[in-house]
Amino acid sequence: MATVTLNQAEKTYANGYKAIHGINLEIQHGEFTVLVGPSGCGKSTLLRMIAGLESISDGEISIDDKVVNKVAPADRDIAMVFQNYALYPHMSNYNNMAYGLRNHGHSKSEIDSKVREAARILQLEDHLERKPSQLSGGQRQRVAMGRAIVRQPKVFLFDEPLSNLDAKLRVDMRLEIKNLQQRLGITSVYVTHDQVEAMTLADRLIVMNGGVAEQIGSPIDIYEKPETLFVAGFIGSPAMNFLPGKVSDDRTHVVVGDKVKLDLDHDVEAGRNVTVGIRPEHFRLCGDDAGPVSASVRMVESLGAETLVYLDFGIGNENVTLRVQGTHQFAKGTVLKLSITPDMIHLFDTETGKRI
Amino acid sequence: MKRVQFEHSAVPYLFVAPQILIISIFFLWPAAQAVYQSFLLEDAFGMSSQFVWFRNFEDVLSSSSWTRSAIFTVVFSVLVSVLSIAISLFLAVRADEVVRGAKSYKTLLMWGYAIAPPVAGLLGNMLFNPLMGDLYMAFNSFGFEFNHIENANDAAFVVILIAVWKQVSVNFIFFLSGLQGIPKSVQEAATLDCKSPERRFWTITFPLLAPTTFFLLVINLTYAFFETFGIIDVSTKGSPGGSTATLVYKVYVDGFLGADLGGSSAQSVLLMIMVSVLTVFQFRFIERKVHY
Ligand SMILES: Nc1ncnc2c1ncn2[C@@H]1O[C@H](COP(=O)(O)OP(=O)(O)OP(=O)(O)O)[C@@H](O)[C@H]1O
Ligand SMILES: [Mg+2]
Repeated sequence: MATVTLNQAEKTYANGYKAIHGINLEIQHGEFTVLVGPSGCGKSTLLRMIAGLESISDGEISIDDKVVNKVAPADRDIAMVFQNYALYPHMSNYNNMAYGLRNHGHSKSEIDSKVREAARILQLEDHLERKPSQLSGGQRQRVAMGRAIVRQPKVFLFDEPLSNLDAKLRVDMRLEIKNLQQRLGITSVYVTHDQVEAMTLADRLIVMNGGVAEQIGSPIDIYEKPETLFVAGFIGSPAMNFLPGKVSDDRTHVVVGDKVKLDLDHDVEAGRNVTVGIRPEHFRLCGDDAGPVSASVRMVESLGAETLVYLDFGIGNENVTLRVQGTHQFAKGTVLKLSITPDMIHLFDTETGKRI
Repeated sequence: MKRVQFEHSAVPYLFVAPQILIISIFFLWPAAQAVYQSFLLEDAFGMSSQFVWFRNFEDVLSSSSWTRSAIFTVVFSVLVSVLSIAISLFLAVRADEVVRGAKSYKTLLMWGYAIAPPVAGLLGNMLFNPLMGDLYMAFNSFGFEFNHIENANDAAFVVILIAVWKQVSVNFIFFLSGLQGIPKSVQEAATLDCKSPERRFWTITFPLLAPTTFFLLVINLTYAFFETFGIIDVSTKGSPGGSTATLVYKVYVDGFLGADLGGSSAQSVLLMIMVSVLTVFQFRFIERKVHY
């Protein structure tokens, strides 16, 4: 159990590229924090700064109130799980897990009991004498997890640990990691660009973009109240629809394109140009009669449990995505009637991208 | 293990025929000749020869000059191999820290590879020339009474130095590419698991380089045994008094300069046997331990 604190942490690489622009963050005891963001936004860099694999250019990182900027990685009491497992290929799986303990001067019997306990938890007991090359991808990932948990570190760091696994195994391991982390109660930082992993694992989610933390909060908070256009577009799949709109003079609705009017109960000045954000799952299909919005179908994708419908809202070539439960057959050109409640409408300042 | 089975046809034999021809002409035939010659005793003018069974072998094995050459060869080969492997490993580890990614720099570091052994010997000759050699002067100005023309140990030092210097660049290339083949994340995982860089080197890096090291050990021993001929011939010519003649060089001296074909053939047969034993030993006992 430990806290991790980042105070204006910055990273500038040797080539002058600034990958992290001053991040402030306080991770609580036993909290599972997930860093999510597009490729190249600096997730791995930030994680590696906590691990000590990258130097910290400016600011401070502390573990349990002790500033670790100058502390060697092996002395930070952290353990990391890498995307490509990074197991030692010449050692048996047993020795892979025992290696760190040996270097920290534990007794032989202590090491043995710890390794066997970890192997039991991860169901690796039958594979201890083998080398990593003799295991499947999922088993290797477990050995890598084992190597991390035997140390009983203060902090776990994960850098996309599941991205090399197939879809089914990924789901199993995701549950296993969540389970394990809750059982051991070890503070964790987890990097991913998989939405589902981010939403399901996180106690706290950090959405990163271009080296800054765009929003920090619980997954549900971020889904329901994205602070910026970027976060709104990044979290949620399929992505939120963004439509250019103008608030009506009486401030009761917003006009999108030429013909669509959506009711509002936001506190926003009249005549303001805004970007309207609506999640595909928040439209409601109305029968033939009612419904303030009508739009024609351009394309339909059936996924079985749900159907994605791409609609023409009369704003150029842009599609608006609608997500409905179950299977539906809509012919191209069918006009659908939709409604949306005002509290499901997100408004953003078109210039700054900030939530209104 | 599953093997691919080809239809029996002449084509594969045709493909290997040139190689077999080369081996036959340049290896099998001379080797057979050597074995045959080793049982003959020629008179001093090469007019007649006589079948003498193992007398040539008895003579060789009981001669003190052969024993001395054998001991020198072993010491020389071990020193050259171990030193050139150790030095190049050290250099490669240092270089690896700098050149990860920097390709042009890496190419520059490899140029030494292109030097032929006789050229290396010639360079050594110049450096150790008693009249103008820089190293000769330097050693003597430091107060070592260095004289490789007369002192056997000094002469041995010179050939070992040249042989190691020539070989380091070859080993360096292999070690550097071996090091660059170790995934960065494995090294990083080790940084988290182990604080001491020395310990990390001996427990992670060195074992991961074991296949490379083994391969280089074989290559270097072969080099020290055979290819250093050119270096010795150009630099010391085995002097003083045959003290820097390896077995291979002695075969040449006794056979071609001393015109003792029978004795020289017996020596080369012994050499062949030694090398075969060494090869079998290397592959049987060492190779098994170095793969992961
Ligand atoms: N050693 C380095 N030197 C210079 N720039 C680097 C270095 N490592 C990373 N970068 C740059 O820093 C930025 C952030 O890289 P980082 O690896 O943290 O991204 P990431 O968010 O983990 O991306 P991904 O999801 O693809 O793994 C990238 O633009 C990358 O090009
Ligand atoms: Mg990354």
